[in-house]
Amino acid sequence: MNLTLKAFVKKELTQALRDVRMRALMFGAPIIQLTIFGLALSTEIKNIKLAVFSGPGDAMFGRVADGFYSSGWFLRAGHAPGEDPYELIASGRADAALIAPAAGLARSAERGGGRMQLLVDATNATKARAVEAYARNIIAAQAAREYGARDDAALKFDVRVLYNPAMESSMFLVPGVMGMLVCLITIILTAMSLTREKEMGTFETIVSAPLSNAEVLLGKTVPYILLGLADAALVVAAGYLIFGVPVRGPLWQLGLAALALVVTTVSIGTFISTVARNQQQAMLGGFMFLFPAILMSGIMYPVENMPRAVIAAAYLDPLMYFVRLIRNIMLKGGDVHVLWANLGALGLMALLAAGLAYKRFRQTLN
Amino acid sequence: MNGYFDFHRAYSIARKEVMHIWRDPFTLALALGLPVMLVTFFGYAIDYEVKDIRLAVSDRDKGPAARRFREIFSASGYFQPVETGPAGPVAMLDSGRASAALFIEPDFSKKIKGGGRVTAQFVLDGSDNSKAAAVMGYLPGIQRAALARLAGAAPREPVSFETRFLYNPELNSRWFTVPGLAAIIIGLLAILLTAMTVAREWENGSMELLLSTPVRPLEIMFGKLAPYGALVLAGVFFVYLVSRLVFGVPFAGSHLLYLAACLLFVTAALSQGLLISVITRQQQIAMQLGMITGLLPSMLLSGFIFPVESMPVFFRYFTMLLPPRWFMAAARGIILKGADLGELAVPFLALAILSAGMLALALKKFKTDLEP
Repeated sequence: MNLTLKAFVKKELTQALRDVRMRALMFGAPIIQLTIFGLALSTEIKNIKLAVFSGPGDAMFGRVADGFYSSGWFLRAGHAPGEDPYELIASGRADAALIAPAAGLARSAERGGGRMQLLVDATNATKARAVEAYARNIIAAQAAREYGARDDAALKFDVRVLYNPAMESSMFLVPGVMGMLVCLITIILTAMSLTREKEMGTFETIVSAPLSNAEVLLGKTVPYILLGLADAALVVAAGYLIFGVPVRGPLWQLGLAALALVVTTVSIGTFISTVARNQQQAMLGGFMFLFPAILMSGIMYPVENMPRAVIAAAYLDPLMYFVRLIRNIMLKGGDVHVLWANLGALGLMALLAAGLAYKRFRQTLN
Repeated sequence: MNGYFDFHRAYSIARKEVMHIWRDPFTLALALGLPVMLVTFFGYAIDYEVKDIRLAVSDRDKGPAARRFREIFSASGYFQPVETGPAGPVAMLDSGRASAALFIEPDFSKKIKGGGRVTAQFVLDGSDNSKAAAVMGYLPGIQRAALARLAGAAPREPVSFETRFLYNPELNSRWFTVPGLAAIIIGLLAILLTAMTVAREWENGSMELLLSTPVRPLEIMFGKLAPYGALVLAGVFFVYLVSRLVFGVPFAGSHLLYLAACLLFVTAALSQGLLISVITRQQQIAMQLGMITGLLPSMLLSGFIFPVESMPVFFRYFTMLLPPRWFMAAARGIILKGADLGELAVPFLALAILSAGMLALALKKFKTDLEP
């Protein structure tokens, strides 16, 4: 690395980190977000307010209801006698209501078909689906208990979950969030700081300095590549130390993946800065790229489940390759094919993006 | 100087701001383009019902029952059996070429025919929870279908239940996400745009200039914020149109009530944006702070996707301080349930208090910063 460039990068880094608030945001924000993802958000649905409605003295139904409340997923939602279950759900005092058959559960079961009714507030479709699945299990278990242990189904599944046996949300979210955070920070910050220089006119000063185009570009972007990598390392360390997310694959693979992503995103940020005329435009342009990139990456929603056209578009999303890579490396220990296929694609994107950014950058300089 | 608040002066500031936005069509296009993109994505691309899960089948029986068992999986529409490579199904999971694997024992058909009990091993890729949880939910249904078709008789179910999903009977993912998008759009545009625009005035020093004129701070604030409020409401209106016309999301409640909820939340968001700009006075920092305190809570802690009730106790209380949580409750209540003001008293009251609080805080900080 030549001396001019080294000094340039150093100056840019100092400038980016000079402000205490900026430092706090650069390194504090990822930790806050990671904590929110790791602690607050869970794909498991809990604390469902359930109200039960039955005739007097329906002991068997009472036992079914107890099965719900002792499962740990449901909370008791009280109601006045004679209240309408629909009304209860409409007012939000209950999320679900279980209603016994009019004749009493035990008696109608003897007659063949003790059919209870479950009303579920489906304003949240995923939650509603979970409530129904819980109810199915609880009622089946309770029925088995009532009619003797009839655990003799002719065909059963023995289910094993690999890589994340407890199905902890943090294991699933943290690697993805890492990609998202690095993307956010690098793209928007790079785009905004370069645009800021343009806006303030300091860019002209740099251009008139005895530096080559490549030196200016590298001097301006390398600091953000370094910052992005530092953030990536910080998030992995925090995930490992705070949430116990394993790093089963070798670290160099992780580093290589992060480098390829950061080079791509910083290049995209640079590209946006050559188009944007002010910082607001740079920020909005960044979001215009980030939102689809995050939604199509598979961090929260499986890509395979999307319409064909979106899947096709997802192949242009660097974050998708990165999320595949990082989950494979961290949770599965790294698979050779997955590693090289995705790293190859990501690397290619990095080269393309960097080339494009350089071309645009040179045009705006001259 | 006459009076504390002169509408005409505020209006002139607002007009200048509108011209400013108008002169920058790129920003305008992006600001209105983002809602379009979000609606399209959540409307078309994201479906919570996971389908076509690639299932690696290791069939060591190859008998007729095993074949039918496999068909039950593919007929469900949720699974797509794929050929297992020479390295075996677990290698398929390792490389991500399959998301689940099914192992059929060598004597599966014989046992089924003889009326014996069989256990099929089912292995799931747990590195993607959203998929794994959905697959687990499908298994009981597959088991019932298999029992009925393979073992001959459906198990006698003395006790059963029938589910009725209220407000969204088909569990349509769009009905669930699209009404929540208004919160994201307001959280994104109102907070970030105002934080940055006002921070820019400080950064350029033009705020000082503006303050030395006879225009009062309150008028400046109102004039600067009103156009952005209108822009954000335009975005929300657009989402409303698309969700009604394109996605057929019902609107069960009162439009007036919905507008009131939007206005309250917009006030809170604009005040928050202003507060951020006064504190930071620099666009980059304003943007970062706006993202952490505005966009992130709207997307993650509001109940948009992850229900607030499922969060740990601390977060259930903490989210009470966040306007988006209340707005989300009000918006879904009005749009899907047709709730009236009485039923939404708590969210509305909370929104009103938080909006007033934010506005007061922003005003106070703005004013104290004017003292020389």
